[in-house]
Parts: sequence; C-alpha cells; structure tokens
Amino acid sequence: MSTKDGRIELLQGTLDLLILRTLLPGPAHGHAIVKAIERNSEELLLVEQGSLYPALHRLIKRGWIGVTEGTSENNRRAKYYRLTAAGRKQLTVETTRWDKLARAIARILRPASEEGRP
Amino acid sequence: MSHPLDNLSDDIRDHIERETQENIERGMPPEEALAAALRKFGNVTRVMEETRAVWISVWLEQLLQDIRYGVRGLRRNPGFAAVVVLTLALAIGMNTTVFSLVNAILVRPLPYPDADRLVWLGNYNRFFKAEMVGSPDYVDWKEQAASFAGIAAYGARGYTLATTEGAGHHVLADVTADFWGISGARPALGRFFGPEDRDGIVLSDELFEREFRRDAHVAGRSVIVDGRAVTVLGVLPKGFRFALPASFLLQSGSAREIEGYIPNPAGWEHPPRSRHVSTQLVVAKLKPGVSIERARSELAGIQARIARENPKAGYDVQSLRVTPLQEKLTAGARPALLVLLAAVSFVLLIACANIANLLLARSAARQKEIAIRTAIGAGRARVIRQFLGENLALAVPGGTLGLLLARLGMPVIVRLAPPSLPRLGETTIDSRVLLFSLGATLAMGFIFGITPAIFLRRSKPYEALKQGGHMSSADSAGLRLRRLLVTAELALALVLLTGAGLMVKSFWRMNARPPGFDPERILALQVPFSGPQYNAFAPQRRFAEEMLERVGQLPGVEAASILAQGELRGSGTAPHDPNVTRLSSAQVMRLPHVTFSTVAYGFNRVMGLRVVRGRWLAENEPDPAIVINVSMAHELFGEGEAVGKQLGLADNVEDPATPASIVGVVSDLKYSRLDAPAEPEVYIPYQLSTSLLGLTVMVRTATDATAMAPAIRNAIASVDRTQPVAAVKTLEQALADSIAPRRFNLYLLGAFATSAVLLALIGIYGVIAYAVAQRTQEIGVRMALGAQRSQVVRLVVREGMRLAAVGIMVGLAAAFALTRLMASLLYDVKPTDPVTYAAVAAALAATALAACCRPALQAAWLDPARALRHE
Repeated sequence: MSTKDGRIELLQGTLDLLILRTLLPGPAHGHAIVKAIERNSEELLLVEQGSLYPALHRLIKRGWIGVTEGTSENNRRAKYYRLTAAGRKQLTVETTRWDKLARAIARILRPASEEGRP
Repeated sequence: MSHPLDNLSDDIRDHIERETQENIERGMPPEEALAAALRKFGNVTRVMEETRAVWISVWLEQLLQDIRYGVRGLRRNPGFAAVVVLTLALAIGMNTTVFSLVNAILVRPLPYPDADRLVWLGNYNRFFKAEMVGSPDYVDWKEQAASFAGIAAYGARGYTLATTEGAGHHVLADVTADFWGISGARPALGRFFGPEDRDGIVLSDELFEREFRRDAHVAGRSVIVDGRAVTVLGVLPKGFRFALPASFLLQSGSAREIEGYIPNPAGWEHPPRSRHVSTQLVVAKLKPGVSIERARSELAGIQARIARENPKAGYDVQSLRVTPLQEKLTAGARPALLVLLAAVSFVLLIACANIANLLLARSAARQKEIAIRTAIGAGRARVIRQFLGENLALAVPGGTLGLLLARLGMPVIVRLAPPSLPRLGETTIDSRVLLFSLGATLAMGFIFGITPAIFLRRSKPYEALKQGGHMSSADSAGLRLRRLLVTAELALALVLLTGAGLMVKSFWRMNARPPGFDPERILALQVPFSGPQYNAFAPQRRFAEEMLERVGQLPGVEAASILAQGELRGSGTAPHDPNVTRLSSAQVMRLPHVTFSTVAYGFNRVMGLRVVRGRWLAENEPDPAIVINVSMAHELFGEGEAVGKQLGLADNVEDPATPASIVGVVSDLKYSRLDAPAEPEVYIPYQLSTSLLGLTVMVRTATDATAMAPAIRNAIASVDRTQPVAAVKTLEQALADSIAPRRFNLYLLGAFATSAVLLALIGIYGVIAYAVAQRTQEIGVRMALGAQRSQVVRLVVREGMRLAAVGIMVGLAAAFALTRLMASLLYDVKPTDPVTYAAVAAALAATALAACCRPALQAAWLDPARALRHE
C-alpha cells in the first residue's frame, strides 16, 4: 500500500471486487471499467490498467462475469463485460467481507481506549 | 461460441487506443498521448501472458475431461476399443522389441572407455576368410606404430581347466597385457598379469563363483590349464564382459562367455613370418586426436617394409584392414537387423492404417453427433480436441501394453537368438528404447488421429443433419480414403510376406538332404587333446584306434569314425613326378576353400556318402590313398577321370609333398554348414596325418542318437580318463546351429508377416463390411428388381477383389524393388524368385477372398423388403 504522487496502489484481490461493483449498473468494456474505478475513487486509486485483463479473465473463469461481443459508440467492435447472477451474489458476499475487514483493521489502528482521549 | 481469450490482443489494442484518444482530448500532443497510455497500461506482453495463464489449467482440465469423455465413449464400445488397443499393443510391442535389439547391438557404444577410439586391425587371410595378424607382425606394429595408446593381441578357445575339485572344459581368452588398459578393467581381487608375466590366469566373476566358490584367498592358488600348472593372479569384477570379436575362433554356435584370461604368447613366441601363420586377433586404441586414416597409413608403411624385407612370406599390403571396432563387431548382424527393423516398421504402418480405418468408420457413424455438437456451438478446435482425447485414451493403454509385451517378449527373443549375435546379453529396455516406444506411440496416435480430423474438415454439419443415414459426399470421401488405406495395407503385407516367403524357400533349399544322410542319427563328440602326453602323433593315433574299437563295439552303434579338419593343407612343391597332380599356389588361391578332412575308414558309412567312382578307403591302406568329392574332382580334372591320379599332400606349401593316390570320388555333402554350398573336399585317412589338434568322434546309431550319448561318453572315457569330451551334439543339432542366425531372422520375419496379413485381413473385412452396410438400400433395390443372390455375392466380392488386386500389384512392385536388400539373408534363392512371388500373391488373394465372404453372404441373405426401408 505504497503511495506514489499521493495515489494509493490497490490491495491484492480488491480489484476483483471493484470490477464486480463497477459492472453492477450495467455492462461495460475494459477501458470504461478502469475509468469508472478511477473516477469513482476520486482519482485516489492507482490502477495499472493492464492488470485489469488477468482479473477480468479470472472472473470469467469463475463464472461471475460474462462477455458479449458488441459495437460501441463510434461503431467500434468491443467486448462488453456484464455481471452474471452468480457474480451479483458474489458481490454481496465480497462487500460484506470487505466491510468486516475494514472495520477490523480500523479497530486495531484506533483502539477504543484511545478513542476517548482528546 | 468463441473463447474469451480469442482476440485478446485486439482487446488490449482497443483499450490503449481509447486511452490515447482520451489523452488527446485532454490536450496532449498525439505522440505523448500514446506514450502516456502505454505507460499507464503497463507491460503488454506480461499482461497477455498473465491473462492466458488464467486459462491454462482450464485447458488441461478440459483435455482431461475430453479423455474421460473419450474413455466413457469407448467403454460403450468395448469391442472397438479392444481391437484398437490390441492392434496398437502388438505393433508397439514388436517394434520396441526389435528396436531394443538394434539398440543393444548397433547403437549403444561398447562398454569400454573411449570406445570410439577402439579400432580393429587385421590382415585379410583368404584361406580362413578372416582378418588375422601374425605374432611377429603384431610385435612390429606395437614397437613401431605411434598412432596407438595401446595395442592388444588376443585369441580365445576352449581349454581343459583342472582344479583340486575336478576337470572341466572352459573358454579362456589369451590376451596381451595391453588388453587391461583397453578394456579399462580393474581387478576385483589380486592383480592382472603384466607384459613380463608368462603364466597365470585371471578369472571372470562367474568362474570365480562356480569353480572357486568365491574363495577370498584364491590369488596364489595353482590350477592346471591344458596340463600346465598356472597360478591364479586375480579376479575380474562382476559384470565385466569380454566385448571383442571372438566368435571366429570359437566353434560355431558355441560363442560362450569368456571365463578366464591367460597371457598371450605373442611377445615371446617367434613363429616363422608368413601371412599363412596368422593366429592373433588385434585391437588397438587410438591416441586422442589421431584419425583412423593416419593410423591406417602408418600401419601400411610398416607392413610394406615387412613385405619388402620378407619377400618369401607372401605379404600383400592390400590385405591390411583398419576398422572401427564397433563396425567390425556389428558388420555381420547389421543387414539382418536392418531388414528386421524395416519389416517391423511395416507392421507398425499397417497397424496404423488399420486403426485409422476403424476410426474413420466410427467417425462416419458419429457424423450426426458431431454435426449436432458443431451446430450448438462447439468450435472445430474443440471437436478435434475431443478426438485427440479419445485417441489418447486409446494410444496410452495401447503403448503401455505394447511396452509390457516387449518386456515379456524380450527374454524369449534373446533366448531364441543365435549366440553369435554380439552383445545380445545387453538387451534391455533403457531410456533410448523407452523414448522410441513413446515416440512411436505418439506418432501413431497422431497419424490415426489426424485422419478422422481431415475427414471431419470435409463434412459440413448441415449436410450431415439433412441427410439422415444416406450416403453423403463426406461418406464417400471417407470410403475412398479407407479403400486407399486398405490397398496400402495389402501392399505392405505383400512385401513382408514375400520377404518371409523367400526366407522359407531358402530354408527349404538349405535343409534339402541327400538320401542316406541321416544327421539325426549321427552323434558328434568333441575330444580336444589336452596335456603334453598328446603332443605327438603316435599317442594320438593310439588313442583314436583304441577309441574307435571300443565305440564300434557298443550295441546300437552302426558305424564310428573320427573327423579332424584342416591338419593337412596345401600341396608341396616336390617331387617333380608328372603323374602327381599338385595344387599350385595359384590354384590354391583361386579355389574358394578346399576342405581337407582327416577321417577314419568308417566315415562313409557314418555319413552315408555315396561313392560315384572308384571305391571308398579301406581300413588299412597299404599305400597312401585318398578320396575326393565331386566338386574337387571337377576342380582338378574337369570332366577327366580322377581315380588313379595322384595328389601331393603337405603341411605347408613350401614342404615336400607326399604323393597319394585318388582311389575314389564321392558325392558332395554339406555336413558342417547348411548355408554354404559344399566345398571341394579331400578325405585323407588319419593314419597319413602328422599331428591332430583334436578330433570329433562321429557315431552313427541305429535308433535314438541322444540316448546313446552316455554310453559313448563312457566308452571314450574308458580309453583315457584325462581326456574329457567337450561337446556332444547330434549332427542335426550342429547343422541347425549352423543356421541359427538365419532361423532367428526367419522366425521374426515370419511373425511380422503373419501379423501383417492378419491386420490386412481385418482391414479389408472392415472396409467391405462397411461398404455393404452403406449400400444396403441399393442392394435391396437390386434384389427387388430380380437380382439373384449369386449376383449380389459377386457384386460384393468383386469390390473386395478389386482392392486386393491393386494392393497386390503395388505390393509386388514394391517387393521387387525392396527384397534385393535382403539378398545376403537368402540361400540359393533369387530375391526376385517368381515362384515365391506367385505363391505369396495367391496366398494374399485367398486371404482377401476369405475376408469378403462374410459381408458378401450377409448381403446376399438380406431381406429385400427390410433393406429397402434401411436408413
């Protein structure tokens, strides 16, 4: 979790979760997915764009997302990735787990005893 | 349905283009925009690799799934699977076995260090048809040649070895001390002899075990070798093998392992310098970096000088031979092994064609299934991979079973093989053999797997679906391919069958024997004289007379004689009597080989020799008398009368000759080698001899020769207990041994040809049955329109026989071209023998006809009403 010009590199494994979340509103192509992650994190998260692809294929392999060939705005051929039913379920599971993890880490970093101090 | 991995590079390019576009829109100059996009993306190659890596395990999983699927499919069709696996196992097993022989004998280097630097040196001797070296020449080479790191002279023969426990016959090699350096051996016990040792014996591990019971204090013990006391010096390590060419010196068919080593007297014995007195075999090790050509020219220089200095010795520098040892060792076995390897690879090809045929039939039947798979979105690659999975499910058990067969068959083959095959004991399944069978299995799997795939490429799913069970264009293409395969199978089988047929005929020719010659009733017992008491002729003669007397009196013995070959040879220069025919040196050189057989008077009755002119020898001839055979008479006198002429006999060409009268001419008889024509032969009463090195007792028995052996042994032993009988065989066995290598080749080639014909039979049956099934409806129509059953039979048979005819024609042409390569394996039969060709073609045609019978009869007994509705 090093920082580079103030931006944070992604934690191992969190990219999958972010992809699933990004696809929740509807299908998107690869470039749009990275852009959405960057934009929604208010440009705080640094995604090496290439790492998106192994992650996408991991998710396809697990059956959490699917691919459809389609044409984009200016009539360009592109692959659209969409969430499957299993993916939707997985997203809920992962989100819950992430929340628990975040709470747990926060508790360790700022223990209750310290909280009371001024 | 496409795979997510398809067009991955396009996806990435698309991604980078979008990012570049965005950068430009934000106001970057185009080049900078692209560079920034690439930077942000990261290493493209690594990304692609990582993305693909996500799927590799899946691919493997799918292949496994395909194999599982294949196994399941095959389990539903066990007959098909069994036929394919067995065919494959048979072919792979045979090929692995033959290759392991080739590997042990031709490919693997000798078990000595730096084996590639070992060379065989010899002067070709036309009398013995062998390469040998005289002791004085060896000494000169050793002293003068600079090309060699070591040069060893050796020989090998049977010796009588007596210990405190008893006497026995053993094969020993006499070697000069250089042998130890060349073989790289280290003593396991004691020491080896050096150049200065004239006495001593080094034991092989086997002899140490058998005769000395691993006595740790064996070094220093005394044993008697051929009547001389020698000291045991040391013992060789277990597993050490004498790997030099030795079979020439040993009796044919008795190439046993060397059991011990004694010093070779080449260094201190000084026999006369003559190219006729050549008794040493010589092996040398080249110094590093010295080429064989340089060694050859150096030796040729030395040999030329020897020839110049000894003009009378008759040297011929042209006779010098320098050969890589490996080549010398394997030269005799090479042609036969290569023929066998070619033959067995034919079997592999036929098996391959057969399996491809079966798979084609299956894929034709499954066309609909595949069409459905393709229609619901299975990619072509996916379908082909499914085939691959099935083929692996067939090939792997087939290959494994084949390897197992080879493992089981190898000891049988090694036992069947003639002992004269070098290095046979080293035959094992090593990594090279394993690699070979793996390669053969995969190649076969690929070849028979690719055929249905090609076939599949041609078929169009909609056609297959549309056309129900009717003959489609792909069907007929498949049938064409299958006919082609069967024709090729038949042609290959015919070539093999021709080869085997020619060998069978050779055998028949070899084994033809004249009436009166009954080798199964003749017992041959070898008595090599041992001990100084038998160095002179007088005691040898006394022994022979006494022994013939006692053996002749045994009940059941019809006649007894002795046979000792080659003691009197050549013919002398004097006396200058015009009535005495002498063989001039030129004549001696021109004759291929004259056998001088020293015999007792009963020999003709033992062998059943037929007297053509004159008479046979009497028991006690008052004057020197001899008998010659027809070939010799022809050689000496052409059509002229031989009886009454005189022949000069002498030990050496230079010696004065004793004139002996020819009293009779007998018919030619092959009694030592079956696979060589009878040689010109002179029968000399042993009483005329000056020395016998040993003798063979030949006894004709009234009934079972083998049963008589103990009695005859006892009779011989009763003459002198110190002279053991070395070997007992019926002449039939001895003759069979003389063609053991050929019999071995015949067995193997016969087995290959039989399997080839069986496979071809299955192949042609399969195609015809399939064609009949395809034409069921047509046949039904024909019958409905009034075709007779006989006409239907003819229709089917004609189709089969047309295939057979083409296959046989092609096969005959191929056999005509190929069998000449096996000319050296044949005896008295031309490689293009028309009788064999005709017989083989007829046999294969009959086989094809038999294969057509069942499908033809099935077709003829179809119920036309049902056939018409057949889909």
